[in-house]
Amino acid sequence: MRTATIVLVAYLCCVVVAALWRLVPWIADAIPDLGALTAAYLGLTARRQVSPAIGGAIVLGYLIDLISGAPAGLVALVLGLTTLVARAVQQRILVRGAVISVAFSAFVALLAGIVSWLVRELYGVPTAAFGVELRHLAGVTIATAIIGPLVWRMFRRIDAAYARTHRERDAALEGLAP
Amino acid sequence: MTLRSRLVDWSLTAVLILLPALVLRASLARGTPSPLDKALLRITAPLETGVSWVIEGIGGTWSRYVSLVDVEAENRELREDNERLRKQLAAMARRAYDVAALEDLAVVKKRVPFDTLGARVIGAPLSPQFRVVRLRIDRGDREVAAGMPVITSQGPVGRIDKVYGDYADVVLISDPSSRIDVVIRDPAQPPNAPSGERGLLVGLGRADSYACKIEWLERQGRTAPSQSRVKVGDEVVTSGLGATFPAGLVVGKVSKIIGDDGMFQSVEVNPAVDVSRVRAVMVLLAPPPPPDPDARTKRRSEAAFGARPL
Repeated sequence: MRTATIVLVAYLCCVVVAALWRLVPWIADAIPDLGALTAAYLGLTARRQVSPAIGGAIVLGYLIDLISGAPAGLVALVLGLTTLVARAVQQRILVRGAVISVAFSAFVALLAGIVSWLVRELYGVPTAAFGVELRHLAGVTIATAIIGPLVWRMFRRIDAAYARTHRERDAALEGLAP
Repeated sequence: MTLRSRLVDWSLTAVLILLPALVLRASLARGTPSPLDKALLRITAPLETGVSWVIEGIGGTWSRYVSLVDVEAENRELREDNERLRKQLAAMARRAYDVAALEDLAVVKKRVPFDTLGARVIGAPLSPQFRVVRLRIDRGDREVAAGMPVITSQGPVGRIDKVYGDYADVVLISDPSSRIDVVIRDPAQPPNAPSGERGLLVGLGRADSYACKIEWLERQGRTAPSQSRVKVGDEVVTSGLGATFPAGLVVGKVSKIIGDDGMFQSVEVNPAVDVSRVRAVMVLLAPPPPPDPDARTKRRSEAAFGARPL
């Protein structure tokens, strides 16, 4: 239920961002990668089983594929892989505080961008010129880094709402791994 | 967590990762959305439309009503620009009108064999009914003299009445003191050969119109009785006999038959020149010199320099 709520909220945020970014064409290249942030959060906060987090990320990715017009499965695969990476670093990193949140958001956006580029190259999906891809990746990374702490906080609130004990609630709000 | 459940979890994860990879391959091979894609798009489209509507509404409200910081300054600048451009436009229109009047005068100058002098109208006193009663031109006693006729390309305007300093007043043909010898143009004759009924055009001096009248209109030059009556719309031209205006200038058209006693007719004439719109005029200074009797007998001189044709 928690994963479903996070996925649903993330999807709504993606729709809002898509509509909002059309009004600011001068930063059209710098769209925050909410999907990657969500996938990373699901991976970081996955409890014993990783498959629900992967499933949630893939569903979100599929929905993003539909609204963005990308080939179905592209973003889903990228977000699935991002969740796996986040799960892998779960025991080694603690995302707390503004600086780490910003840095980790940037890292996630960069990772998702690189994975996306690799997948597109692997599957023969047309890509832009390298310079254009690089500029787009830089814009997305910066935008994601800026908006990342807010997204983390929002997801922590959702986690706190689903906490069964006070301790779990406090831990969720503090950004501690479950 | 037991090894079995861990295996199940990782197997499920592998399947889940494999699934979008397969979907992506199929999607790229197919090139079009699958039925599932279409169904999901149909379900999610209203949500996306609603969100877009709300956000665009807020954005529109912001840009139309809130984000108007520089609009006042811009509005003021645009108003000033508008005023400046209006003035420029008026000046250009006035200049264009002057140029048109001067071009008109150039045509008259070429057409009229007299010595002429162009002049600008610098004043036009009005009657209480807003009719021009006389014109003031920018030529003075060193250039023009009283009695000189004044014309435009449309026809005669009047005669110089008073000259003082650098200015001169023109008495209009509609003034009661004006007298011009005219003829009614015979439609059967060529335009430059005035013939037909002859008379004296006198201004009526009306405050509300520029009308003139011809009294004692003599019948001559027309043989058939049906042609011996002047009709409304007949053209009135100068006869050239008054030693003022050259012959053939269109004065106006007959607008009304005032009287007809069998021998003489009396008609009202509407002048061809709209005096209220006249901006430049031509003063006729002197008649053309008499023709040179030796003009055809003289031998043309040869070129002094340059190549000569073989």
